[in-house]
Amino acid sequence: MSGGGVSRLTVALGLAAVALSVVTLVGLPTPLQAVAAIAVLILLPGQALARLMQVTDLALGALLVLALGLATLTAVSTAMFYLAVWSWQACVVTMGVITILACMARARQEAAS
Amino acid sequence: MRHTMTGTLDATSRTEGRWKPRDVWCALAGVVSLTLAVGAASTVTVPVNSDLGLVAVLPYPFWAGVLLLNVAFVVALRGDTAGPARRPVMIWLIVVLVLVLFGTAAFVTDVPRGEVAFRHLGVADALSRTQGIDPDIDGYFNWPGFFALLATLLRATGLDPVAVALWAPVLNMGLWLAALGVLTGYLTRDPRRRWLVLWVFCLGSWQDQDYLSPQAFGFFLYLVVVALLVGPLAARAPEIRGYRRADLVAWWRGRSPAEPRSGHRVSALVVTLLLVTVICASHQLTPFMVLIAITALTLSGRVWPSRLPLIAVVVLTLWLAYPASAYLIGNPPLAEAGLQAATEANVIDRLDGTAGHVLVVQVRIVLTLVLWALAAAGAVRDWRRGRLDIRVVLLAATPLLLFPAQLYGGEMLIRVSLFALPFIAVQACSVLLPTEGSTRPSSRAAGGLALTCFLLAVLTVTGRFGNAQYDVFTDDEIAAVAAVQRLAPPGSTIISAAHPTPWRSEAYLEHRARTIDDMCRSDLSTAACGPLVYDYARHSPGGAVVLLTRSSEASLVVQGASSAGGFAELEKWLSVQDGVELAFSNVDARVYRVTP
Repeated sequence: MSGGGVSRLTVALGLAAVALSVVTLVGLPTPLQAVAAIAVLILLPGQALARLMQVTDLALGALLVLALGLATLTAVSTAMFYLAVWSWQACVVTMGVITILACMARARQEAAS
Repeated sequence: MRHTMTGTLDATSRTEGRWKPRDVWCALAGVVSLTLAVGAASTVTVPVNSDLGLVAVLPYPFWAGVLLLNVAFVVALRGDTAGPARRPVMIWLIVVLVLVLFGTAAFVTDVPRGEVAFRHLGVADALSRTQGIDPDIDGYFNWPGFFALLATLLRATGLDPVAVALWAPVLNMGLWLAALGVLTGYLTRDPRRRWLVLWVFCLGSWQDQDYLSPQAFGFFLYLVVVALLVGPLAARAPEIRGYRRADLVAWWRGRSPAEPRSGHRVSALVVTLLLVTVICASHQLTPFMVLIAITALTLSGRVWPSRLPLIAVVVLTLWLAYPASAYLIGNPPLAEAGLQAATEANVIDRLDGTAGHVLVVQVRIVLTLVLWALAAAGAVRDWRRGRLDIRVVLLAATPLLLFPAQLYGGEMLIRVSLFALPFIAVQACSVLLPTEGSTRPSSRAAGGLALTCFLLAVLTVTGRFGNAQYDVFTDDEIAAVAAVQRLAPPGSTIISAAHPTPWRSEAYLEHRARTIDDMCRSDLSTAACGPLVYDYARHSPGGAVVLLTRSSEASLVVQGASSAGGFAELEKWLSVQDGVELAFSNVDARVYRVTP
């Protein structure tokens, strides 16, 4: 735990979401761009949302990271297409915001516990 | 506490201690197996000129690798009295099996197998270009969820779409196994059974539905939903004392949640609803499988949120009534219902073709029946010992309810067998492992198991890659498709011989696409079909381009729709008509331009 009762992992997830979103939008060489984009679009939001569930089973937690990340990105992308506002950059920003919001919710849980 | 299928058994596990020589040898055997299989597959040249598919051309080191891998797995599974080999060894062997069974084609060629993956790349490309959804285009745009995901990932990562399609079977199988591993953990604590379920699931996956597709994505989410249903959302049901109304009401009210933390249950429910919604947005068939699974488990008293089926019905109905309404108006879902029609489309019609092709279809049927027979024997064994888990039986049997509901292009039985397979595998393990769960199999039983697994692997490779003569494309065919893209102006029509054509991965909305097979399904003779195709091409606004590839012609011959000579005669007749000129040709393809 950090000083305010919020875990370091929560803070790290939020900061990583900000940093990787910016890096992905700016652009990297192809293999690094793929790693950064997959992290910011799937793994980080999946991890941040799965932590809200307070899963104790490690295997279920890992599975939920993938399932929640993919499902949330699908929902966001589909909604953007229906609203005719889709761009991959907008998806990156939205998933970054979702990750940060989930980290804030988790921080409140941790501060209250 | 978890529900277990073998609740009275003590689970064996091995999470501590040093590596034993057997573990190391099994891991090394996996390395050797992979080397043998990859080395052998990479020597295969395309095109594959056998109606038996890849099985006829894979050299013997491939099969030696498969045999060694199955022996190594069974040795690792048998382990010692403390349990199977260490977890990293078991995971490594499963990774090798996935690469060998589902990556074989990728070691043979750099071109993805089958037409549909190319088309799916085209739909994702079209979405990202138009940045909106027009449901009147075709069915894909009524269930666009997966394509929206694919478009975003491809654009954001910068990955080569063809490479993604090439390795999609391995990636999808990895996702499926991850979900199945968690799911199986809620059904049994016996580690041998859990590892064997994953192995048998791989060995039974002849359906070839793991390519880059909405159904593969939907199947992953389906398995996650079922894992949540038998995990955090599970209920414990008391024994039924009778079937009078009062007894049933008492039984229903006697249920209790398996997960004591209400907050955890609520969050699992929220995740389930998100997954159900995404499944509804991504694929036509999977939501119905999800609904059936949720309803069956809820009615059996094994799911705690009793209104979940109702909520799933509402989500599914809303999707069908609004985003998918454009498609459903022209394609009523129950228009092709009926057991007889389903049997004809799914079984009888598929038994046409050359002798080799019919043998491949029969192998697929035999493999499915063998696994179902093993599962039935396992269910009887569990029932006699009072250990039958009704959830497994329901999840294995209920997909059959959809078989007579829709022909689904003659693929419903394939889909049904895929959705049942995880639970067929769970139930089959009851007969493949010793009667006393978590007991170490004897040497003789282990030998029988290794032989069974090897034979299943041979059947799976035969069934899965049985269409390789026409679904493995050559570089010349890909070059011809690229030439068609250059030659066909926007608004023109592209006509291919038959559906296994690697087309439409680009400019999906710019051309009309037809096949000669679809236009002349009842009669492909030159006299009947030639004028039909020629008139259609001549009267197409913007002109037409006719693409004739080796693979599409082979598909017609192998599946019994035409003969090699018959199709050559049709091409010869077409090539001398007015306004038809040969615009491109190579060893495996010809492209004719037809001016209006």
